[in-house]
Amino acid sequence: MEDLDRIFNIALLAATLRTTAPILLVALGGTFTTKAGIFNIGLEGQMLMGAFFGVLGSIWTGSAWGGLLCGVAAAMTFAATFSLFVVTFRANEVVVGLALNILAGGLTISLTKAIFGVRGSIVNNGIVGLPRIDLPGEDLLGPLERVLSNHTPLIYVSFILVFVVWLILFRTKFGLHVRVTGEKPEAAEALGISTARMQHLASLCCGLLAGLAGVHLSLGYITMFAENMSAGRGFMAVAVLIFSAGDPGKVLAGCLLFGLSDAISLRLQSFGLSSYLVLMVPYLITLGALFALTVHQRPRIFRETLQSLNVMKEGAFASTKRKTSK
Amino acid sequence: MTDRSPEISDRRPLYERYEHLIGQALAILIALIGGTVLVLLIGENPLLVFATLVDGALGSPERIASSLLQSTPIILSGVAACIAFRGGLFNIGVEGQLYMGGFAAAWIGFAFQMPPVIHVIAGLLAAVAAGGLWIAIPAFFRARYGTNEVVSTILSNYVAILLTSYLTIVVFKRPGGWSETPGIAETAYLPQLMTYSRLNLGIVIAIVAAILLHLFLTRTPAGYGMNAMGRNRSFAEYGGVPIRRNTFFILLASGAVGGLAGGVETLGVHHRFMEGFAPGFGFDGVIAALLANGNPIGTIGTALFFGALRSGSLLIEVDTNASREIITVFQAIIILCVSAQILIRNRRDSTQGERRWKI
Repeated sequence: MEDLDRIFNIALLAATLRTTAPILLVALGGTFTTKAGIFNIGLEGQMLMGAFFGVLGSIWTGSAWGGLLCGVAAAMTFAATFSLFVVTFRANEVVVGLALNILAGGLTISLTKAIFGVRGSIVNNGIVGLPRIDLPGEDLLGPLERVLSNHTPLIYVSFILVFVVWLILFRTKFGLHVRVTGEKPEAAEALGISTARMQHLASLCCGLLAGLAGVHLSLGYITMFAENMSAGRGFMAVAVLIFSAGDPGKVLAGCLLFGLSDAISLRLQSFGLSSYLVLMVPYLITLGALFALTVHQRPRIFRETLQSLNVMKEGAFASTKRKTSK
Repeated sequence: MTDRSPEISDRRPLYERYEHLIGQALAILIALIGGTVLVLLIGENPLLVFATLVDGALGSPERIASSLLQSTPIILSGVAACIAFRGGLFNIGVEGQLYMGGFAAAWIGFAFQMPPVIHVIAGLLAAVAAGGLWIAIPAFFRARYGTNEVVSTILSNYVAILLTSYLTIVVFKRPGGWSETPGIAETAYLPQLMTYSRLNLGIVIAIVAAILLHLFLTRTPAGYGMNAMGRNRSFAEYGGVPIRRNTFFILLASGAVGGLAGGVETLGVHHRFMEGFAPGFGFDGVIAALLANGNPIGTIGTALFFGALRSGSLLIEVDTNASREIITVFQAIIILCVSAQILIRNRRDSTQGERRWKI
């Protein structure tokens, strides 16, 4: 019992908020591209660029906000490159996404060495971290104060954005156009919506949020940049997007699950468990969720296929129908 | 490239006839310009960096051997990726399979005593089995439920790297050693080809694997079915290709070859398993296969090119201020340019510009 108390306590909740925020931001960015019908495997690279240029900008300008702007601009440049190749040149999404991820990895390491003369990581070169916000009123929030207060602004922004992104996608004309583009591109074109333009815009929105996620990694709680510090969070976000189909509410649920597993796994280290095993936990949980939830989605796909087949004439499709209904 | 004589029957305008050549030249040119810009940004002389790269890759027989040595795991990883691509699937998890295969081969090497040749074969078989097992779960869910294999194989890379690190450092650590397993028995060494380099039989295994895959794809009915599946799934299904079963076995085969890449690396080069023993070989293989458009013989060529880049980059790190990761930037820019160029070529063939590997 005592051990459980050491894991599950108020500090865990605060830690969960911290670990959820980066993956939530990048996953919310991905909802735009997902809804616009783009499979965006390049999130990891955009996030890494955001993290690196966040640090660089914070050193240059001496302010965390300058870093934030730099990081977001870098991530948006990457996002624009992604959509340029995928939408305009019609290149394969997976190929371009992978290439940009590799580019981000190589570029950040090369620039780290060129600018700071070191390999691996940039620490303590006058990096200004994001400020923390003290919520007023300990008596107002009670014990929750320890969970909710003393975070960087990006934490609060990430959770507010869940609602904002939902509003944009489901309550604005822009959101409607993005969704039509993803679901029925022919219909969008027939209505005079430029699908290419919508996909470019969605990708830019995605870059914006992925950049924020990266800045949170490097300027949030620890102020440093380490090579490949995004550590697969971009790919976890892609997994979340696959089984949530880009629905902001489900994205939040998925990201909270990973944030919690991340926070718990960090605590497990203090029990003398090997850090290698502990670090595996978030990836394993993502994989488990990906497998379990796609199996869960399967009956729905079968049902929809059946319905669409029923709409068609019988006879020619009878054999297919039998096969699918198995 | 047209197989008809241009004077007689090719009435297309001159520009269109040589369009793909122009496209490829442009891709390389843009990559060179991009690389030059980056080198200038870093504050180095581009000519010096490129000259160092070429010198480091091809400057002496030892360096050429080293380039071939670096190419070996890339060729095998490339073959692994080709198998999946040609079946219309992505295996981005070659890196993880390579780690698992490398560890399994090392384990057979240090934990068992066997006669010489048999020990090597056992090690390689263990690597193949480990690579296949590592992709089995993603492959099963892809085949049965359509779970996206790109994401599941990428995520399993992280698990594989952490798991092999755990096994190496916590379970099988060499006493007094530094994050490596005990050395393998000499009976498990892959024979070396020359005395002044660690170049070993692995390069032969890799090239033979690529040729075998090429023969399989072009000369056998099963290879034809696999190709058909990669080009058009629904058409292949209509033609009687068992899609689900094939999906599973194609991914399994792909993972097995990925494991073999790791086994060849531990038995041939390091003679033990070390943490982070093969950074990025699996990824390079995937890129090499992409560049070669899934053609196994072409993959040998692109993998040799990448091996030479890697080998040359070591000298860059020594002789200039640029880091060796600069070559990954070159690779990425080339991939980007080629991915766009493929579609310029295809756009006229199919008005929809159908994607080659649709997920």
